[in-house]
Amino acid sequence: MYMTIAKDRIGGLIFLALSIGYGFSITLIPMYPGDEYEVFTAKTLPAALALIGSVLSLALLILSRGETKKTLPDLDWAIAVKLMALMSAYGVILETLGFLVATTLFLLAGYWILGERRKILLFCCSLPLVLCFWFGLTQLLDIYLAPGVLLQWMGV
Amino acid sequence: MWEGIYIGVTTAVMPFNLLMMFVGCFAGTFIGMLPGLGPVSAVALIIPITYGLDPSSGIILMAGVYYGAVFGASTSSILINAPGCASTVVTAFDGYPLAQQGHAGKALALAAYSSFVGGTIGAIFLVFFAPMLAKVSLSFQSSDYFALMVLGLTAVAAFAGKGNILKALIMCVLGLMLSTVGTDRSNGVERFTFGSIEFIDGLSFLLLAMATFALAEVVMSVMDRSINAEGSKTSNVASLGSMKLSKSEIKEVAPTMIRSSVLGFIVGVLPGAGATIASFLAYGVERNFASKEDKEKFGKGSLKGLAAPESANNAASTGSFVPLLTLGIPGSGTTAVMLGALIAYGIQPGPQLFVDHPDVFWSVIVSMYLGNIVLLILNLPLIPYIAKLLEIPRTILIPLILFFSLTGVYLVSFNAFDIQVMIIICMAAIGLKLLDFPLAPMLLGFILGGMLEDNLRRALLIHDDSMSFLWERPLTAAIMALAMLALFGQPLLNLIRSKLGQNKGQEVYDGE
Repeated sequence: MYMTIAKDRIGGLIFLALSIGYGFSITLIPMYPGDEYEVFTAKTLPAALALIGSVLSLALLILSRGETKKTLPDLDWAIAVKLMALMSAYGVILETLGFLVATTLFLLAGYWILGERRKILLFCCSLPLVLCFWFGLTQLLDIYLAPGVLLQWMGV
Repeated sequence: MWEGIYIGVTTAVMPFNLLMMFVGCFAGTFIGMLPGLGPVSAVALIIPITYGLDPSSGIILMAGVYYGAVFGASTSSILINAPGCASTVVTAFDGYPLAQQGHAGKALALAAYSSFVGGTIGAIFLVFFAPMLAKVSLSFQSSDYFALMVLGLTAVAAFAGKGNILKALIMCVLGLMLSTVGTDRSNGVERFTFGSIEFIDGLSFLLLAMATFALAEVVMSVMDRSINAEGSKTSNVASLGSMKLSKSEIKEVAPTMIRSSVLGFIVGVLPGAGATIASFLAYGVERNFASKEDKEKFGKGSLKGLAAPESANNAASTGSFVPLLTLGIPGSGTTAVMLGALIAYGIQPGPQLFVDHPDVFWSVIVSMYLGNIVLLILNLPLIPYIAKLLEIPRTILIPLILFFSLTGVYLVSFNAFDIQVMIIICMAAIGLKLLDFPLAPMLLGFILGGMLEDNLRRALLIHDDSMSFLWERPLTAAIMALAMLALFGQPLLNLIRSKLGQNKGQEVYDGE
């Protein structure tokens, strides 16, 4: 099913909220004594940006009053959510399981999510490839890659 | 100048730099061929590798990738009618029909020759114009730089396309907002870190570029069922056919290539215009110039229709280096990414680059020319094999690209938290793309944000806290006027046109 949305109005509202939030956060920026006498402080540019952002968002909202809703392309949201979750999980396990194990699992899961079921391809494009990459990084380019908390705990 | 060229040649022909050029052209061609991944994504993906190289080699590698990606995008346009990037959309107009008629080899060879001519003419112009502009801009002060940054931001917004100016401006502001996250460079105050130690150094440019141009593009291409259908479709061109062009064909397209190259270079120099506008413009001009008989061939496999956009987009790619190298203002999204990479090296592009790092300045210019030759001698014989790469299953390719993007950022910071930030930015970028907000202005705003603030602060200090420099210093005033013209010129023109149109309509009505 195709979804229709008023892109400009939604965009305008999001940026208006963002500009207001950004403008409010300026109050959290600490100031040094005497800064009140300075023309340009750490708050000056952010304040100007919050103002410009609000004005532009309002302009977009006003100009999009007569906007007709547009159809979004036919998107497969489920696969995007799966890939995002996979990447996030990779970020979590990378330092726990170590580069080799985490990356092999990431690639295997990635191929699987995208529908690859050929076992030879799944194997050839995961562990050997990661090993080559790991060898290139650690042995040729001399980049240190931590083995991971789990492997360290196991004494590897 | 000749001394500079000598420095450039000696740097560019060093064996390692030549290797980088070959690797860059090849990798760029491969990445550029993948539908959905254009030159910006290709350059963003290669940046982590360049961090391990010296600046000259790094920028030569990036320039090679840029050229390769523009050419690679043409290959997928011609073979499977799936443009790798916006600047090669026009290439598909006549390239794909040619391939369908059994002249895929000829179309690819013509694309390669046109790219070579466009790139070469662009590189020759670059040799003469870049140092001239650099010398002039040596007299620039902070206020002029501030005005130039405003011009860069407004010009990018102005060229964003009809109805998108406001959105592009909003994205510029968003980029500027993101650039304020972290420690203020002048007085060390933390801004928008919300107490998190992870944000004290601000957002990394690489992280932002990778998340918006590599991750978001790839995830979008997976989400989009129509691209999936295109991507899984391998070339329906049975054989490439002959790659030779006859003498009469060369005679026919040669003037087109030259005209389009000159036009492409000029358009490329304008900040924000870029290769896409250049290719559309060149195609339109050639179509209008053509005889009635030739005009009918356009869109059905015209050689001129293929040569024009290919020459123009390559010349424009070279032209976009003029504002980057001489003024420090990127002319396109790709050069904006390169600007960020140069800054990460500790090199500030702009007039001082010409003085402080002549080896980088000249080696980039010389490598542009050599890159074209490499592209021709590397890609032309390899075209049949490169075309085979399009058959690698996307189920394998996509996770690998995601892995390279994530690892690219992780290997610079060694902080897994960056991966989570990347995912959040990627999700935001997908949302913005769906709402038709252009992402390149955001990256430009982010890159120019720090410089804009520093120059404004310095200009205010020099002028006793007064903004009068905006109208009192002639050069600053002139650049600001240009910025205003870039911003309001098109809407004003549209307004005048619509008024005139209304009047005309009224006259016609009255006449009736």
